[in-house]
Amino acid sequence: MTQDLTLSIRNLTLSFTNWEGSTQVLHGIDLDIRPGERVALVGESGSGKSVTARIVLGTLQELASATIAGEVIVEGRRMQDMTPAEWRSLRGTDISMIFQDPTVALNPVYRISRQFHEVLRRSQPSIKRREAEERCVAILADVSIGDPARVLESYPFQLSGGMNQRVMIAMALINEPRLLLADEPGTALDVTVQAQTLHLMRELVERRGTSVLFISHNLGVVREFADRLYVIYKGRIVERGPTKAIFENPRHPYTRALLAAIPRLTGSGIPDIDEVSEAYHEPLVDHENIAA
Amino acid sequence: MIVSRVARRLGSTMLVLLGVSLLIFLIARVIPGDPARIALGPRATEEQVIQMREVLHLDQPVIIQYGHFLTELMQGDLGISLYTNRPVMTDIAQFLPATLELVLLAGFFMVALGLPLGVLAARYRGGWPDNLIRVITLLTVSAPAFVWAVVLLLMLSYFLPLFPIAGRIHETISIPTVTGFMVIDTLLAGHWRGFVSALHHLFLPAFALSLSGVGQAARLTRSNMIETYDSPYIEMAQSYGFPERRIARSYALKPSLIPSLTIIGLDFAALLGNAFLVENIFAWPGISRYGVGVILQKDLNAIVGTVMIISATFLIANIIVDVLVTLINPRIRYAERSR
Ligand SMILES: Nc1ncnc2c1ncn2[C@@H]1O[C@H](COP(=O)(O)OP(=O)(O)OP(=O)(O)O)[C@@H](O)[C@H]1O
Ligand SMILES: [Mg+2]
Repeated sequence: MTQDLTLSIRNLTLSFTNWEGSTQVLHGIDLDIRPGERVALVGESGSGKSVTARIVLGTLQELASATIAGEVIVEGRRMQDMTPAEWRSLRGTDISMIFQDPTVALNPVYRISRQFHEVLRRSQPSIKRREAEERCVAILADVSIGDPARVLESYPFQLSGGMNQRVMIAMALINEPRLLLADEPGTALDVTVQAQTLHLMRELVERRGTSVLFISHNLGVVREFADRLYVIYKGRIVERGPTKAIFENPRHPYTRALLAAIPRLTGSGIPDIDEVSEAYHEPLVDHENIAA
Repeated sequence: MIVSRVARRLGSTMLVLLGVSLLIFLIARVIPGDPARIALGPRATEEQVIQMREVLHLDQPVIIQYGHFLTELMQGDLGISLYTNRPVMTDIAQFLPATLELVLLAGFFMVALGLPLGVLAARYRGGWPDNLIRVITLLTVSAPAFVWAVVLLLMLSYFLPLFPIAGRIHETISIPTVTGFMVIDTLLAGHWRGFVSALHHLFLPAFALSLSGVGQAARLTRSNMIETYDSPYIEMAQSYGFPERRIARSYALKPSLIPSLTIIGLDFAALLGNAFLVENIFAWPGISRYGVGVILQKDLNAIVGTVMIISATFLIANIIVDVLVTLINPRIRYAERSR
């Protein structure tokens, strides 16, 4: 069954070790993404969203202080069966990532065109300048950039935040990845620009059939975007199911608290729901099983 | 736009030099003692002294003296050194290349040793290379250049005679002076053994001179690299699977170099100052040593000329660093263009 899934995470645990001892950050995460599906992982700050994405990407594994167990399977290939070099070869080609703040995530000392070129070379090492340029112009048109030539010739600091965000989306999709990881995309931008670029991104991934793991602390943003939701709390998935089902009938106390917080955090605010109640530790609510 | 930037910098450099000339000119006049009398020696008659004062314009008001000085400076004439009895320009032409040779090699050491040590330390942060480099750089920055000159001289020339004790070239070799740079002149003369000997003589003083700069460049580069490594665009580069070496070289290094280069440029100025003691220790016939000699002799023209030349060298070094930083940093380049 995991053969057909774009991404399958099974019982993933993670702990960080330092001189004080070790802290467990993920306590057995299960998560599936089907081809073309948009899945959101939602939770408060520090709940373990970014580390999950970085494990899928394979970058956290390179950290000596991180101990990781469990299974990560991308398109039927188990991470444990692959060498780090093989996993790395998926990065930028089959899996790509979008970051929170486009203005600082793009390299400040290189022109956009050069950064695109580097990304393109990941899937086509010998790509010619001409062809690279044509591909860039085409994808920039897809993200509604009117004058691609000027943008390609620019440095990131010469472009607006929204423009950089479009560039980053284009960069993440130019190699036609199977899986896009979007870690709080555009949270650093203002709300309207964030909404615009998310809309663009949604259209693009829908058209291309790209699977997405969308990470956010904001249920309001997720509602527009995701087919299915995973709610993560302190390194555990506490509720999962179709977006609609969860919004209509949130059952876990933590999900309810998140939902109640929506009006306060349509901006880039972080939910302040840290009053820990015993109720939050109730078992997983699985809407899929209920529906089935 | 690089050209216009250099042109503008050259313009402001001229202004700075003018200010320096006025300042040093005035300082040189207020040092007690009569330069004409010193120049002529104790046995000169009163008439000779008065005549000398006229030759030197010392009988005229200070402002007129400065006017004379400026017009002569424009013609490339810094006057006669009372001490060596030669044109100051000739003295400078003789002594400056020796110092430049020293300082340029020291600057090269700062870049060629300091930057790679910093990169290495950052790359193995917390590991033994990092700790070793930390100890070494702490040592080098904690003692001034002349201490290193003495230590190196004792260790590597005296106890272990690996390097010559003094001079610019082996005394049996004589090379016609063309540029004044011994390393270049030996090559021009096609004298291979002389070239090796010149480098051999140059190495230790330049190394001693560069040490604290090497340490500073290494420490700064290390902390810049580490900071850069934590930045989101490095994480992005890693998440796209760019090869690690490529990330280190073209993503992390370039932005980290900007502050390091700036500091190296400033250190270069300190090198000219520190060169004085190092030149004395290694009996290096350079301009710093000459400068101190003429100050003690109260040789006015030579003092002013030496200071002017050293300031000009420093300012030119700064322009070069400025251009390098501009070339690396697009943000400056473009701020420039839109102005
Ligand atoms: N390199 C690391 N070393 C030690 N602890 C880490 C490291 N990276 C993350 N953590 C810890 O792991 C936990 C989860 O971090 P993570 O970045 O996944 O949170 P997040 O859900 O993405 O939160 P945010 O909304 O703030 O981005 C946090 O408590 C964090 O302190
Ligand atoms: Mg995060």
